[in-house]
Amino acid sequence: MGTSITTWEGVSAYFTFADSPIMLMLFALGAAGIVIGLIASIIKHENEAFEDHK
Amino acid sequence: MDEAITLESLQAQLTAQQATFEMHQSMNVEVFYWWCTAIMIMIHAGFLAYEMGASRSKNALAAGIKNILALAVIIPTFYLFGWWIYNAFPGGLIPTDASAALPWAASMGPDVTDMGTGIFWAAFALFGATTGSILSGAVIERIRVSAFLILTVFLGSAIWILAGAWGWHPDGWLLTDLGYHDVGASGVVHAVAGFFTLGVLINLGARKGKFIDGVAQTIAPHSLPMTLIGLMMIIFGFFGFLGGCIIFNGGETGWTTIYNTPTNLSAFAFNTLMGFAGGIIGCYIATRDPFWTMSGGLVGIISVAAGLDLYSPSLAFMIATCMGFAAVAFAKLLEKQGIDDAVGAVAVHGFTGFVAVILVGVFAGGTPNVGGNPDITLYGQTLSAVIMAAVGFLPGYAISLVLKKANALRVPEAAEDLGIDEVEILAKPYPEANTPASFESEVPNKLAGDAA
Repeated sequence: MGTSITTWEGVSAYFTFADSPIMLMLFALGAAGIVIGLIASIIKHENEAFEDHK
Repeated sequence: MDEAITLESLQAQLTAQQATFEMHQSMNVEVFYWWCTAIMIMIHAGFLAYEMGASRSKNALAAGIKNILALAVIIPTFYLFGWWIYNAFPGGLIPTDASAALPWAASMGPDVTDMGTGIFWAAFALFGATTGSILSGAVIERIRVSAFLILTVFLGSAIWILAGAWGWHPDGWLLTDLGYHDVGASGVVHAVAGFFTLGVLINLGARKGKFIDGVAQTIAPHSLPMTLIGLMMIIFGFFGFLGGCIIFNGGETGWTTIYNTPTNLSAFAFNTLMGFAGGIIGCYIATRDPFWTMSGGLVGIISVAAGLDLYSPSLAFMIATCMGFAAVAFAKLLEKQGIDDAVGAVAVHGFTGFVAVILVGVFAGGTPNVGGNPDITLYGQTLSAVIMAAVGFLPGYAISLVLKKANALRVPEAAEDLGIDEVEILAKPYPEANTPASFESEVPNKLAGDAA
């Protein structure tokens, strides 16, 4: 589904969706979301932990 | 019957052999930086051991989790925007077209015709992770993990690499305008990270109990042996870091610096090792303290890294020894100002990196650059060192101030008293041990000298 090639002849970039910048942008947003989500989850965990140990 | 040898057939054979040779040369480049990157992971294993050991046992795992998560956030953010910053900002603060370095570019993924981008990105990502981790040890035992991660993303994936674009890039404006020379990243990594750390420490404040009536107290590491081993692991990792600082060129060029001037690994080997040894000696004589003695190895390497390709080895040894004394003196000065830098990162990285850049102007001023860039000068190196310090300090201070105002920088006092492991980490470093923590140690504070 995501391949950017149908043959290895004359291939350069061949990773999934290499020919679809829109999809790659969406993946980049997803990756950024994971990092932001991690930090948000740590902030939530810290707030709860500090509340429990007042 | 054999085919007749003709000029055309010989030419075809030569072309085929040339193509094979060039392919293997490209593979050698990839292999070299692959292993440099792998060796740099040892820096992080070292930081992990070093900072856990430097903490009291009640905070050991909290210190360690920072190091692990720092890698986990800097690597993707360096992919998302760090590499683009490096390629877009060599001219200053106005970006140039670097669309090939954006995370949705075809060159930012597996490509059979590109044997450079991925491996250089990887090495730079690890440089970024190292830079981001320099902050980590200074802030142990009171920073919130979330705040540290926000700060380290800025430092490791944005700020240092902006300085790198300016001063560690063949088209960087510090090189083209001032002849800047910093082959081993004393300025772009160590000075930037060290002064960023100073900005953060001002807002973060000291660990509870560090200063009593204004007098610095020793908060002893819970495992000094672990700290020493960690530091030695960092030294090992530095060989990957410094190897990654040299450019492995194809064709007849061979090794060059990132500024395209000729050099080789032999030059790096002489001065890395002589600097390492000199730094140990300086810090040992200055303190007789095991922690500072081992930190001296780092001081020594950082103090000569900027001119690793230029110095006489004996000169590098003397510079490193003197900088060992100077770094300890600077650490004492900071402590007298009420700054609690738990591992001496500002002195070891910031101060030493800053001075190292200037020393290239002192000892190698007049050395020519290539490609029409100006010669190395004391003026250019000094101005560049100030720029590096400012590029680090200003955002470090500003971002940590915002976090402080949002009450998101430091753990609450109750958590600091109990220990962050107990409150937040949900695990104990030594579950079968009963190790009481105390704010005051019977170990004399060597840095505080007579004041302690």
